[in-house]
Amino acid sequence: MRNMTKLAGVAITAALALTAAGCGAGGSNSGDGAGSVYFLNFKPEVADVYSRIVEAYKAETGVEVRVVTAASGTYEQTLTSEVAKSNPPTIFQINGPVGYANWRDYTADLSGSDLYNHLTDKSLAVSTDDGVWGVPYVVEGYGIIYNDAIMKAYFALADKKVSISSTEQITSFDLLRQVVEDMTAHKADLGIQGVFSSTSLQPGEDWRWQTHLADVPFYYEFEDDDVDLTQGTPAEVRFSYGDQMGQLFDLYINNSTTDKGQLGSKTVDESMSEFATGQSAMVQNGNWGWAGVSGSAGNVVKAEDVHFLPLYIGAPGESAQGINIGTENYFAINSQVSEADQKASLDFLYWLFSSETGKAFVTNDLGFIAPFDTFAAGEGPSDPLAQEVIKWMGEDGVNSVPWSPFQVFPSQDWKNGFGADLLSYAQGKMDWDALEADVIATWKTQAAAAG
Amino acid sequence: MRVSTYIKKWFPVFALPTFLAFTLAFIVPFGMGIYLSFTSFRTVTDARWVGVSNYVTAFTENSDFLHALWFTVQFTVVSVVLVNVCAFALALLLTRAIKGTNIFRAIFFVPNLIGGIVLGYVWRLLINAILGKLFAQDITYSAAYGFWGLVVVVNWQMIGYMMIIYIAALQNVPGEVMEAADIDAAGFWAKLFHVTIPMVVSSITICTFLTLSNCLKLFDQNLALTNGAPQNETEGLALNIFRTFYNVRNHQGVGQAKAVVFFVFVAVIAYLQLRLTRSKEVEG
Amino acid sequence: MNTRQKTFNVIGFIALLLAAILWLVPLLLVVMNSFKGNLFISQSPFALPDSDSFMAADNYTSGVSRTGFFAAAGWSLFITTCSVALIVLLTSMAAWYIARVKAWYTSVLYYLFVFSMIVPFQMVMFTMSKVANTTHLDNPFGIIILYAGFGAGLSIFIFVGFIRSIPIDIEEAAMIDGANPWKVFFTVIFPILRPTAVTIAILNAMWIWNDYLLPVLVIGSEYKTIPIAVQQYMTGSYGQKDMGGFMAMLVLAIVPIVVFYLSGQKHIIKGVAAGAVKG
Repeated sequence: MRNMTKLAGVAITAALALTAAGCGAGGSNSGDGAGSVYFLNFKPEVADVYSRIVEAYKAETGVEVRVVTAASGTYEQTLTSEVAKSNPPTIFQINGPVGYANWRDYTADLSGSDLYNHLTDKSLAVSTDDGVWGVPYVVEGYGIIYNDAIMKAYFALADKKVSISSTEQITSFDLLRQVVEDMTAHKADLGIQGVFSSTSLQPGEDWRWQTHLADVPFYYEFEDDDVDLTQGTPAEVRFSYGDQMGQLFDLYINNSTTDKGQLGSKTVDESMSEFATGQSAMVQNGNWGWAGVSGSAGNVVKAEDVHFLPLYIGAPGESAQGINIGTENYFAINSQVSEADQKASLDFLYWLFSSETGKAFVTNDLGFIAPFDTFAAGEGPSDPLAQEVIKWMGEDGVNSVPWSPFQVFPSQDWKNGFGADLLSYAQGKMDWDALEADVIATWKTQAAAAG
Repeated sequence: MRVSTYIKKWFPVFALPTFLAFTLAFIVPFGMGIYLSFTSFRTVTDARWVGVSNYVTAFTENSDFLHALWFTVQFTVVSVVLVNVCAFALALLLTRAIKGTNIFRAIFFVPNLIGGIVLGYVWRLLINAILGKLFAQDITYSAAYGFWGLVVVVNWQMIGYMMIIYIAALQNVPGEVMEAADIDAAGFWAKLFHVTIPMVVSSITICTFLTLSNCLKLFDQNLALTNGAPQNETEGLALNIFRTFYNVRNHQGVGQAKAVVFFVFVAVIAYLQLRLTRSKEVEG
Repeated sequence: MNTRQKTFNVIGFIALLLAAILWLVPLLLVVMNSFKGNLFISQSPFALPDSDSFMAADNYTSGVSRTGFFAAAGWSLFITTCSVALIVLLTSMAAWYIARVKAWYTSVLYYLFVFSMIVPFQMVMFTMSKVANTTHLDNPFGIIILYAGFGAGLSIFIFVGFIRSIPIDIEEAAMIDGANPWKVFFTVIFPILRPTAVTIAILNAMWIWNDYLLPVLVIGSEYKTIPIAVQQYMTGSYGQKDMGGFMAMLVLAIVPIVVFYLSGQKHIIKGVAAGAVKG
């Protein structure tokens, strides 16, 4: 017993001594005139790439960059806590106009920066009449990913009901529906459980529908109504393409690998693994989805077989509709840190996206499609879906659907409510009209709350 | 009294270090938290005074907060009773001369050793598999599934914890008392209520209080298992506050105000519970 | 022991056995799936690993190298051990003072500590990380003090409860012998408290070992504890989870804490067997 007490005493003395030492060591990385850089990274999957990048940057320029990565789903918490500290992040990320509205007291004007000047399409930036607050650093795209091996098997069937003979010829919702419904009829021949992977409606796993799919109807509505999205969230919406969105959603859940009553238990990961193991032919997701399944044991889908189809909902003129291309990842510079720190931060970012070393990291290791003119046409990542995104961007006579409509959705709370309604609809507890009414009503209240 | 006066002046040695750490880790942050509930803020350094408007918003904006309060109360009542009855029964069994008590104790305690998202995930798989087999449904289908699912998971996690405290208490009951009762040939239930329970009433206070406060604060399991589905019907208080904080724009102050209301609510209940069982202790 | 008691014990044993099996199902699922590939975990979580899905120790080896598991385990071990030692020592002393000194301020203190247990962490998390930053406690050493403060509530509450059940005459006798309070505490009180102290050590150890939010907000991800490392490297920004890796790291992470628990459990029983506790 006495030994135990002694041991405890020693441990505590040691702990206190170390604490004192720790205090002495802390808070030393400020001061020198060169400016320091602290980047709060949003993408955990590339955290180790960033540590190699800062090593390379230090080797080339001698400037130390500190990178801290927030775990998935904890970025806002980490940022909220870090920004209040004595050494706050100098570079952080906002997710679009809503993120800017939240952090407007902390975002510096980037309109004169090299990074912004080299942005290929200036309209992609988060800007207001007064300045530029967020510069996108990666372009992503989503749509319906299909496995061409299964599609070819279908089009080779002798008794197929459609007249077209390849997936590229699908250019409207009606054609998509004919193909999908006929494929469901031939499920056994094709060796699939369902045409579409599970429509994951588990709360927190429903963003592919309440955000990504919902982008399309609101895109058409805002186009019709000439809504200026740079002014932020419109006070009201009509959800005029709600029925069309419902058509595609119905197609998803009626031709799925999973029974409608059990969609609430499905996650995005499960949905992707159904696609990867060949149980489904199509899944709605973006180019980020491939990396997670391509190397996994059990994946039967070949890289050359994955392609995108646009999210056709049956809107007029949709044959010219492309896939949804945009970004939710914008760099912002903390306006509350010293001028020197802000400049050092911008220098680091510009180096990353313009120097040969930096660009090599961006395309090969980060796997980003970077929206800057410092990248030549051929300099893109090798991921097959990233290649597809680049292909769709350059397609003639096709207009990509931007991500800006969903970026003005009133709040996460609104999106969650939309997701809960979709789940109730799939479970047969709510009809589509009630869902539309709820979407419109909650938009109004949440947009008002956001002020 | 003599012991009291004897050690009274030793406050700096015995109580001060804990008090200082407590001040840093709790009292100051808590005080700042109360202040923030009367402000509009983005981070803790840019608060702007807005008076009681956050509190008004918390109650008037929609019915979710009150619904979450009610859900939490129901959940807490059911869980506190179940956890304590089961934990006490296990402790009774495991202080008897039964083979392998140590292994059993370890097994029942193990769920406590694991934290985090993975267990929520595993339980969700299990519950969904069962509901899928029986009704072709899943836990998001009905609020009742979510409620009882949470009860099961929380019992699974907390029973072992409370069991340990009950075991420690039962071990403290002197053998002579139990033997004396045996000689009296008191029936099992008579012995339980007249001998055993009065001897361990201080641990009952502790365990009820711990289950009570943990159930009221329920967050991780709520998030992992149902995340509020269907339609926020299974959203507990802590989850509601968390979502207000992050998911509604310009609502950090409202979230903080809800947290203060939550705290006051828990404090009142916990105080009443302590008063109630502590008075029993004196009688015992 | 009479026959009735024996039958009771047999029935009890069977009941315990059944309960124990049910108890272990979720844990066995974790262990089983930690040997399977990710796609197979999502597809058929209840299937035993077969020749296709079996990954041998791949999830373990890749998880260990990706998360820097051993470095993280080092920080976790350091923070947990020091915090628990500090909590047990400081709070048992404070609890004795609070339980034995009759004064208005000891009851105020007692209720303050108890109230701290019912405050949801979300309410103090940002302000706490700010305080930690201002006072330079935002490092793996300072966090020990924060844990001691934040964990004090539960520990004081349990200690006070047990100290109040110890008859005061033991202390009075020791004091009459002329021992100072310091000596009385360490030679008389602390030994009696040992089973409780072990219980408290276990409860705090598992909280601190598994804690994610407090360390991530206070010290950030520069010094990663196991939960931080696992969260960070096993998830992607679109919510993708490497479930195989998650489960493998979970299995590894519980080993030390299970060992600690088992050694602690022995002490609870030994303390009682040695007759240190008088009713």
